[in-house]
Amino acid sequence: MQLIEKLSVLADAAKYDVSCASSGAPKRSSKGKSGLGATDGMGICHSFTPDGRCVALLKILLTNFCLYDCQYCVNRRSSDVPRARFTPEEVVELTLDFYRRNCISGLFLSSGIIRSADYTMEQLNRVAKLLREEHEFRGYIHLKTIPDADPLLIAEAGRYADRLSVNIELPTEASLVRLAPEKQVVTIRQAMGHIHQGETEASAEQRAPRFAPAGQSTQMIVGADSTDDSTILHTAQSLYGSYRLRRVYYSAFSPIPHSPSTVPFEAPPLLREHRLYQADFLMRGYGFKATELLSAPGNLALDIDPKLAWALANRDQFPVDLNRAEAALIARVPGIGVLSAKRLVDLRRQKRIRFDDLTRLRCALEKAKPFVITQDYRPRLAGQESHTLRQHLRDTPAQLALW
Amino acid sequence: MVTMRFDGSFEAWRGCARSLLQQGIAPHEVNWAAGTEPAGLFDSQVTADLGEQAKPIRIARPLLDELQIASRFRIENRWSLLYRVLWRVAQGDPSARLVGDVDGSELHGRIKAVRREAHHLHAFLRFTPLATDTAPSHVAWFEPAHDVLPWAAGHFADRMGGNSWLIATPDDGVCWDGAQMHYSRPCPTEWRQLAQRATDPGGELWKTYYESTFNPARLNQGVMETNLPVRFWKNLPEGMLIPQLMSRARAGAQRDGQAERVAGKAGKRIGRTPGQTMDN
Repeated sequence: MQLIEKLSVLADAAKYDVSCASSGAPKRSSKGKSGLGATDGMGICHSFTPDGRCVALLKILLTNFCLYDCQYCVNRRSSDVPRARFTPEEVVELTLDFYRRNCISGLFLSSGIIRSADYTMEQLNRVAKLLREEHEFRGYIHLKTIPDADPLLIAEAGRYADRLSVNIELPTEASLVRLAPEKQVVTIRQAMGHIHQGETEASAEQRAPRFAPAGQSTQMIVGADSTDDSTILHTAQSLYGSYRLRRVYYSAFSPIPHSPSTVPFEAPPLLREHRLYQADFLMRGYGFKATELLSAPGNLALDIDPKLAWALANRDQFPVDLNRAEAALIARVPGIGVLSAKRLVDLRRQKRIRFDDLTRLRCALEKAKPFVITQDYRPRLAGQESHTLRQHLRDTPAQLALW
Repeated sequence: MVTMRFDGSFEAWRGCARSLLQQGIAPHEVNWAAGTEPAGLFDSQVTADLGEQAKPIRIARPLLDELQIASRFRIENRWSLLYRVLWRVAQGDPSARLVGDVDGSELHGRIKAVRREAHHLHAFLRFTPLATDTAPSHVAWFEPAHDVLPWAAGHFADRMGGNSWLIATPDDGVCWDGAQMHYSRPCPTEWRQLAQRATDPGGELWKTYYESTFNPARLNQGVMETNLPVRFWKNLPEGMLIPQLMSRARAGAQRDGQAERVAGKAGKRIGRTPGQTMDN
């Protein structure tokens, strides 16, 4: 098979993994050196596809031959898809060519499981080693970690890669047993533990060799099973806590060709995925706990964002006086972000905050209005019932289903 | 009204602004004429070096950096706001620099737009490899919305290592010979021709990748156009694919995520017992 044909098959096979970050790597430069590539901690999105997703890395599988039969996966062994396999050298060649063209900032390499977990992991490591050692490639490398692989192989991967990831895929053990019979929660968590341990050891000693400096991430598929958002968010929270993951990605289940009857034929609304990302962001950046965002089993509201939902459920905390409140509480006001909260606190050292200042900071005024007090403004709507406010503030029109 | 005539560079503006501050000339009394812009009909001319003997004025480095970045924002009369902010801070009103202030808000809006455009340059510029052995080995044509090229081009010296490259724009150009940066404004004709006439037989691989990594079941034109503004499409190799991919996805040709090109190929199920099929 020609290289271009392999590329079309193996990029198609890899796209259901939504991670695309190229950020968090240490500063590296090739200026005045042989070799190629640089990183500066900031990610770069080199393109966007019409699905709105960014293209930062060459995201491909080494092969989409796979022994496993995960029901949600297009590459499961019973799937009737074209199969292909790159040689490590071909992946290296593609990465360097796209990198020189400034199409990508690095490589995100994953693979179907062939022969054994160890063999597959060795193949992934080989590509990374070729890039780093033979070609002195200093761009970003993200390697998928095969859960059952030998810890020594995971340690080797950590020396070459900026980021490692193990996908948990399904948020509960019951779903994993039903839909991904060859995968086990225990080994997935063990692999995350090995990566976390590697990171901890590397950061404890100044001269220790680098280990995945951009940390680890994982992905959960949303809507392939009946798990609710509450379970998903609590699982995410526990993963952030136990393994200090940098990111949990949520991937709305995408219908796949010749879909088995164990998974749905329709995609869940993309809005659900969006709300999960918003809630996740509130947990990572704003100090919200999963129980604050969803106190009971169920899903996040689709018509309002999770921060507004929290504010409407906690009216006793509002309105917040922007001239007195702490930055952390200001950041909890719907329509005001962490950055604006900090800027308001900076600004009030110079002057009293007035309503116009919110306009200039480009806060979402409609959302913020019922929840804030400024020197010249008190909300007229403060006494309104939450459900009336919700009617007023909901995102309209509702997102149309894809057709 | 006084008119300050200077060459349009930040350094020259800084010299002018310093002498105006020393003479206590307020922003509303100044008319800035950069390069060949005509002065107002009844304006008097002031030269920059009147205030040599006056007391020195100290301006914090971070403010100077902010003003310099904001000066890259293309807008008529770009220098007036900068002097107004400088004047107010020098008069003891530091809020002129803050985002919450009327002038500060405008200043930071310009800074944000300039930074964003530098990021666009780093992201959406595409190098074409040249087949010749002579430098530069990679060329690119880019049309930035603000004057970011000399400031933002250093990024590519870090990335490209020993490879030589050239970036040409409608206004200026920069060339890295593998060891040193050469900047030229206006852009030399031969640079422009090199960048615009480069042919690229190896470009098909990237377009194939782009097509395959797109998930037609998740079409989302709005998000895409926010992140990849339409003005960049014409200089991107994948740009011409975008409308095609969108209309094919919208026409319902794809109800699942698979790329059409892949759907057209014969599939292969794998037997239950792991075997030789794995290692074709």
